[in-house]
Parts: sequence; C-alpha cells; structure tokens
Amino acid sequence: MPVPDNHIVAMPPPFEEPPYPADVFAGQTVLVSGGGTGMGLAMARAFAQGGAQVAVMGRSLEKAQEGAGKIATLGVRVHAMSCDVRLPDQVAAAFDEAEAVLGPVTLLANNAGANFPVLAEDISVNAWNAVTRIAIDGTFLCSTEFARRLIARGQGGAIVNNSAQYIWTGFPGDAHSAAAKTAQATMTRKMAREWAPYGIRVNAIAAGFFPHETSTAGRREGGTEVLQNMIPAGRTGSIHEFGWLSAMTCTPFFVALTGQVILQDGGESLRRSLMMPDYVPPRERAEGPWGWR
Amino acid sequence: MGWLAGKTIRLVGESSAIAAALKAQGAALVAEGDCDVLVHVAAPQPARPVHELSHAEWRAALDAGLDQRFLQTRDFAAARRSAGKGGAVVYVGAPEQALGSDQAAAAGALINLTKTLGVEWARDGIRVNSVLTFDQGETLGNLVAYLASDYAAYVTGAVMGVGLDDG
Repeated sequence: MPVPDNHIVAMPPPFEEPPYPADVFAGQTVLVSGGGTGMGLAMARAFAQGGAQVAVMGRSLEKAQEGAGKIATLGVRVHAMSCDVRLPDQVAAAFDEAEAVLGPVTLLANNAGANFPVLAEDISVNAWNAVTRIAIDGTFLCSTEFARRLIARGQGGAIVNNSAQYIWTGFPGDAHSAAAKTAQATMTRKMAREWAPYGIRVNAIAAGFFPHETSTAGRREGGTEVLQNMIPAGRTGSIHEFGWLSAMTCTPFFVALTGQVILQDGGESLRRSLMMPDYVPPRERAEGPWGWR
Repeated sequence: MGWLAGKTIRLVGESSAIAAALKAQGAALVAEGDCDVLVHVAAPQPARPVHELSHAEWRAALDAGLDQRFLQTRDFAAARRSAGKGGAVVYVGAPEQALGSDQAAAAGALINLTKTLGVEWARDGIRVNSVLTFDQGETLGNLVAYLASDYAAYVTGAVMGVGLDDG
C-alpha cells in the first residue's frame, strides 16, 4: 500500500551533499569490514566523501574489489583485501596489508555481518556460528587489533559499529542476529569506556531497514516499494544517510561522542498500538506471503 | 554548506554551545512565532534528597522537566500541522540518573515521551529526539544541530547521550 499523499515524509539531502567537508578525514585511513557491498559500501563511500583513504575488507576478494572500484570514483585511494574476520591471524594480516599500502588505520567501521530469516529450531550449529561469530568475534578481533596498534603509536581514533534496530526488542524469526547485534551494541559501550583514556572513541548505529541489492527484502519480487508504508517515517532508509551518520560519529564534529548507540530506523522499532495485526508466529509466517521458505 | 540553512529554530532554555552550533549551521534563531524546529533545553537542577522535597517542589521539577516540555511541543506540532509542514523537536537535559529523584522521574517520562511522539507524529513529518547528557560543549551543540537538520531525516524517537557517563 502506498503512503497516502497527505502524509509528510521527511527526506535527507542528496548523496552529493554530505554533512561534512571533503577533507574532514584527510590524511586518515578507514578500514571497513564487509565494505564491498550493501551497508558496508555505504559506510565506505561516506568516509571517502570526507577524504579518507579506504581499506575495503571482504570475505570475497572479488566483492571487495568491486566495491573498491565504486569507492575510488569518489577520488580517494582504495585498497581491497580478503579477510575472514573470525580468524585473528587473517585480521592481523589485513591490518598489516592495509597499513603497508595506505598508511596507519585510524578509523574502523565494523560492518561485516551475515543475516537471514530462519526459525530458531532450524538454525544449524554452522549457521549459528557464522552469524554470531562474524558480528561478535569479528567486532572483537578487528576492534582490538585496531586499538592495540593505535595505543602502541600513541594515536587516537574512532570506531563505528553497524548494529540493528531490533537489539532492544528481540527479533523473532532471526534469533542468531538478534543475539549477535545486541552483543555488538553492548561491547560498544564497554570498549568505549576501556579505550577512552587512549583517545579512541567507539559508537554504534542501531540501523533500521536500508534496502540494497544484497538485503533479503531487496530480492523480493516487486522490490521494496511495498515496505514503505510499514515504517512510521513513511519510507525505508536511504542507504547514504546511514553511511553519513556512521561517518559523522567519527568526525571532529562529534569529538566527545563515545559509548553511544544511536537509533536510525524511521521509528520502525517503536511501533506499538492498541490495535495491531494478529500475532503470527514465525513458524506460520515462514510459509506465508512474508515468509522465506 | 550549512545543515540548517534556511531553517528557523526556537531555542527554549540556555545553552551557549547549542545556540552557537545552530547559528554556525545556518539556522535563524527566533524567540517566538512560527519555527521549523523546537529545541528545548532544561537547566540542571540541584539534586536534593527526595524525602526532603515538598510536594510543591516535586511538582515544580516535574513541571519544568516534563509538563512544560510536552505542552510546548504539542503547540509546536499543532502549528506545523496547520501549516502543512514537517518539523523537528530536540529535547536536551541531564542524564536520567544524574540528579535527584524528581529529575529521574521527569527524564524517564521524557524518554518514553520522545519514543512515543516520534512515532505518533511520524507521518506529519515531525521528528522527536532527545539528548540527555552532562556534556555542555561543542559535541552537544553539533549533535543537536544534526538532529534538527534534514540529515537526521530517518532519526526519530531516538534517545542518546554524548559521553561515557550519560547512561
């Protein structure tokens, strides 16, 4: 159902008008995990708009390279690498490579994630491990590798984590991601406290629905238009506004910002009313029009 | 460049950092009348033991920290609706547990009011967010300016702090 004409939908400025100057990150290098596609690519492009050099990390080197090509069009130096963020040796090697090519990494975007709707009883050990460890162990390994290097150099920096709007409510039908994304948010707060003395800031975006070509709903027949009306804001998010807020948390504009988890979901997670659609358990929903089987 | 170029903002309460940031981003501050954005700053009150507060003192704290904020926002939103325009509200105050029990009650109420109004008025294009913090510096000013601007078009019902001790 389309959003009625008499509703007012707040819109962001276009991609060409970022909220910070083109040199706000000049001389700095950002490492973006999962930066080749989707939300990670949006983060990487936002950092590039501020003049950061970008190290793009992905499990698939091809995807990372493809994303790097899109980032390079913004006029910054880019380097693509393959890395499984669950493996400490690979993470350390990726930082070595990024710093050898681009220089010291002073900004980190932890975006790598896997997610797919599945009934809790159908989550295999492998699936559970994949989703939880990419987000939880991956964020731990990349953040600590990043922090150890900065602390050794006596240099400050900033981390932004891609969390999710369902971290406070749970996400029936997505148990692995519900657990993983909340772990990311709570470690954000604690790491911010631990690394404040070293000038390393840590924040997270609790992101709502920002459709892109690799998101689950992005593959729906008919695209994402039908989803606009379920969001209080009257639209799904534009992926560049997610990238901007992520990068913004790392700018000098927000120099004192740390330990914060900022909700950006168009009110989606806050929907509640006396009158709601009947509750449909995920098991029954799996087979229906909103299902995934 | 200016996040708030062309916007009029009413700043209720005192904050030099917020006023400076709003102006630096191109907003015109107005004392009364129509405005695109309402920023409401509650001054921190001294914390006193709750059992030493009279009912009148308790009521005064809740009036300043909650009732006045709601009533002014209600009027702001009504004006925006009749003008057929969206808008933004940013509440600013101390962290929920920073001061006395009176402020804790007001801040808790404000937090859930923020979440409620952010959704209730979403389709009016009116966004509502809160910053509850000890910070009085440039980051607070810039964060409020960001939330007031169209760059935060997808941020509504959000409650955040600035520093580690903001909760």
